[in-house]
Amino acid sequence: MTLRITGGRVYDPANGVDGEVRDVCLRDGKVVDDVPDHATRIDARGRVVMPGGVDIHAHIAGPKVNAARRLAPEEHRGDVQDRTAIMRSGTGGTVPSTFVTGYRYALLGYTTVVEAATPPLAARHVLSELRDTPMIDALFLLLMGNNVALFDLIRRDPARVRDAVAWWLQSTGGYGVKLVNPGGVEQWKHGNGNVTSLDDDVAGVTPRQVLDAITGAVHALGLPHPVHVHCNNLGVAGNWRTTMDTLRTLEGRRAHLAHLQFHAYGGRPGGRPRSKAPEIAEYLGAHPELSADVGQVMFGPATTMTADAPVSAVLRDITNGKWVNADTEVETGCGIVPFTYKEKNYVHALQWGIGLELFLLSRDPWRTVLSTDHPNGGSFLSYPRLIRLLMDRDFRNDQLRRANTKAIRSTVLLDDLDREYTLGEIAIITRAGPARLLGLEHKGHLGAGADADVTIYDEREDREEMFATPRYVIKGGRVVVRDGELVEALAGDLLRVDVPHDPDVEDVLRERFDEHYTVRFENYPVREPWLLEPARQVAARPL
Amino acid sequence: MRRSMPSPDAAGAPGPHLATCAGCGLVCDDITAVVAAGGAIERLDRTCPLGDAWFADRAAPAAPAARVDGREVPLDTALDEAAAILGRARAPLVYGLGQTTCEAQRAAVALADAIGATIDPAGPALDGASGLAFQARGASTATLGDIRDRAEVVVVWRADPVATHPRLLERLRLPAGGRTLVILDDRRTATAEQADVFVEVPAGRDVETLWTLRALVREERVAGDPDAALADLAARLRGCENGAILHHVHGHVAALALHALVRDLDRITHVVSATLRHEGNAAGAEDVLAWQTGYPAAVSLAGGHPRTSPGEFGAAAVLARGDADAALVVGSDPLGHLPAAAAERLRAIPVVSVDARDTATADAARVAFTTAAGGVHRPGVVHRLDGVPVPLRAVLASERPGDEEILQAIAERIARAGEGAA
Repeated sequence: MTLRITGGRVYDPANGVDGEVRDVCLRDGKVVDDVPDHATRIDARGRVVMPGGVDIHAHIAGPKVNAARRLAPEEHRGDVQDRTAIMRSGTGGTVPSTFVTGYRYALLGYTTVVEAATPPLAARHVLSELRDTPMIDALFLLLMGNNVALFDLIRRDPARVRDAVAWWLQSTGGYGVKLVNPGGVEQWKHGNGNVTSLDDDVAGVTPRQVLDAITGAVHALGLPHPVHVHCNNLGVAGNWRTTMDTLRTLEGRRAHLAHLQFHAYGGRPGGRPRSKAPEIAEYLGAHPELSADVGQVMFGPATTMTADAPVSAVLRDITNGKWVNADTEVETGCGIVPFTYKEKNYVHALQWGIGLELFLLSRDPWRTVLSTDHPNGGSFLSYPRLIRLLMDRDFRNDQLRRANTKAIRSTVLLDDLDREYTLGEIAIITRAGPARLLGLEHKGHLGAGADADVTIYDEREDREEMFATPRYVIKGGRVVVRDGELVEALAGDLLRVDVPHDPDVEDVLRERFDEHYTVRFENYPVREPWLLEPARQVAARPL
Repeated sequence: MRRSMPSPDAAGAPGPHLATCAGCGLVCDDITAVVAAGGAIERLDRTCPLGDAWFADRAAPAAPAARVDGREVPLDTALDEAAAILGRARAPLVYGLGQTTCEAQRAAVALADAIGATIDPAGPALDGASGLAFQARGASTATLGDIRDRAEVVVVWRADPVATHPRLLERLRLPAGGRTLVILDDRRTATAEQADVFVEVPAGRDVETLWTLRALVREERVAGDPDAALADLAARLRGCENGAILHHVHGHVAALALHALVRDLDRITHVVSATLRHEGNAAGAEDVLAWQTGYPAAVSLAGGHPRTSPGEFGAAAVLARGDADAALVVGSDPLGHLPAAAAERLRAIPVVSVDARDTATADAARVAFTTAAGGVHRPGVVHRLDGVPVPLRAVLASERPGDEEILQAIAERIARAGEGAA
């Protein structure tokens, strides 16, 4: 299939294209330099052409997401998807059913999504759901920050950590490594504790040692995406010190910080949080090896879901509503609390404001990219509104006036922070940047050889409307959305890393399996073809 | 030291095979099945009596692969008939699912979506209604390994796992010094014989007992003299760093009370609960239905999208009201466990049974497929009672199609007929 997208204003920041009117040619699922004249044409005059969106941090599949679905029938009732000739039926809300998740990402112009927190033991469940999530290429990050078998290796056989990490990735179909409150979740499973500093002892290791060892392993393995860190002390007033301590511990090695907004609070623990976004943004700006997604909160309904189970217990005591805790042997924990962010609430408005500060103070859009930590800070469906907040100063100022005054005054948002993101910058923070940070060389750009994932928007003054309803979405060279309607449902690929390991590590791990797990070592690695294919492997580049 | 392991050879090859038993919700994956030269299972290592029966029921079913009205027919004939029944039904019901693989469950939900069926797993009927309590308040839970390695106090509430999950205690390394196993039931069951503490709770007194325990745990005043055994249990639970309640409570209110107790305890210490589900893939059935529709059970797709209403769209209620005009039963024997009124109705409508076993429901069905069994003849994935996905392995060879293939073939026939009609 060949396509020529003609006459659109193209934003392809990875290739230095910033709104030039030019054609984009697609053939056999790839971007090419040219196609013959008889190729099908898509008229993009008066429209904006960008690579397909890349979501670097979302929660869309697996036991945690599914528990959240089961928890909220009231959300699904009023938001349904009828089955059609090409679409399966389903339900929406902040945690849509799998098919609806895929359709809605496509309708939003997103074609690649990261599931950011997979317990390795649940990889089959995650993969099954991803198989039922059409339209998008998906990849997942493995939770490794509270794995007691790895703790054991870090303590006694640190030279093996690197191969163990590689084994886990190869055994599950994972793409990258995620650390969530390293040590703190393990502490939670012991009588509800948590860590408060990087030097607390947890099962014979400290969060700092875990951070250092796993970061070192990811670095040495040369994974395409650096270690993806959810710092300790999420949500706690004064946690910016922990965040800065974490960054210093990384010592110049590459790292991606998840939902940075939740980790940028001043004040004293137990007291009222304040914004430390300027300090954090400053540090990030000065350290090119670091990147972050913002984790913007949006006013309205959300569902908090995290491997950081002790945080969920805190939220439980705030809402006194529904709460799920789920401990996974050896590896991790999980907490879920439905949550609503209110603009008049001091803390919620401050969180909202800190997210905006991080965006607006960012010196390098390539390294501070867009997320709401879907659905923790809000649904991915709120990205268009967030884009408008960034692009439209008048709209933002209007929203600022509605939010809790005390909270907004404690930010720098009212201090003539009048920046407006350009379309080129939006293209960076929603596709080119995330793709580069993930090491996905075929995503997030429109140069020859890139995947033919393209989104075409009508140029509209209301950026929220513009980004909410793309005119066309093309996935792998096929037009899947036309005039804002889904016209073809197709399956995406699993994107997984290819990283070799020393087979000797399997003997070391086998012993620990018999001790720690209730699933046999031989049954742990995913082998089922239906779960692993179709997939594309991205090779690691070991040092 | 490397333990010597049988190699997972091609299905049916003589010698030892790794195997997984899905005979109950525990899904023990450390089984060795030794296959004889003739291609039959000659020995099973580490199975319990339930597991032995599970393999035996599936290894060599007497029933033919496909029957219509009890008579053996070619597979295509049965598929055509099944597609005709389900394709023309105005109010089809899809039921069961807890004893088949996640792969087949996905196919069953897809088929239900295509024909606008009501779909309900058998789990809630067999294991009680903790799903509703979950929706109302949530839950705190853990996988078996964390319960084994962390729980100092393990409470078994209204369940007799020695009979229903024979390897549970072994897998949790109980009884054990330094850990306490407490059984609450109305009689001294086989499990109670293993317990450190037995607390007698009369039948039908779950809610009152749980409420008393909640008060004791919260150190609130209890009217009258608190039962000494319950006071002791409350103290043990308050005093542990990590505890677990494994249960088989029936009824919404008891399940809600149990979840409320666990939540109270979680303000003090770390306590989890888990339902001792009977079927090997009951958890998977609810998981698959939830990820595809948003709801874990009692889902009507008749309006073109999922709706749930557990009282209304539960299989027993749908049948008892006479609201189903055909049924697809997958991996389940509802004539053996549904209430009499519902079972009677099921006998009166055309039923398509897809099951690796020969069941009473299959014998009475209009169309019955006796399939290659996941875990015996086919690989597959099941979700253990704690939600952990575990692979089943093919030990024996079989020419028969599996559940998933049958369901897909029926769906394809219905889709083709739909296109033809259009």
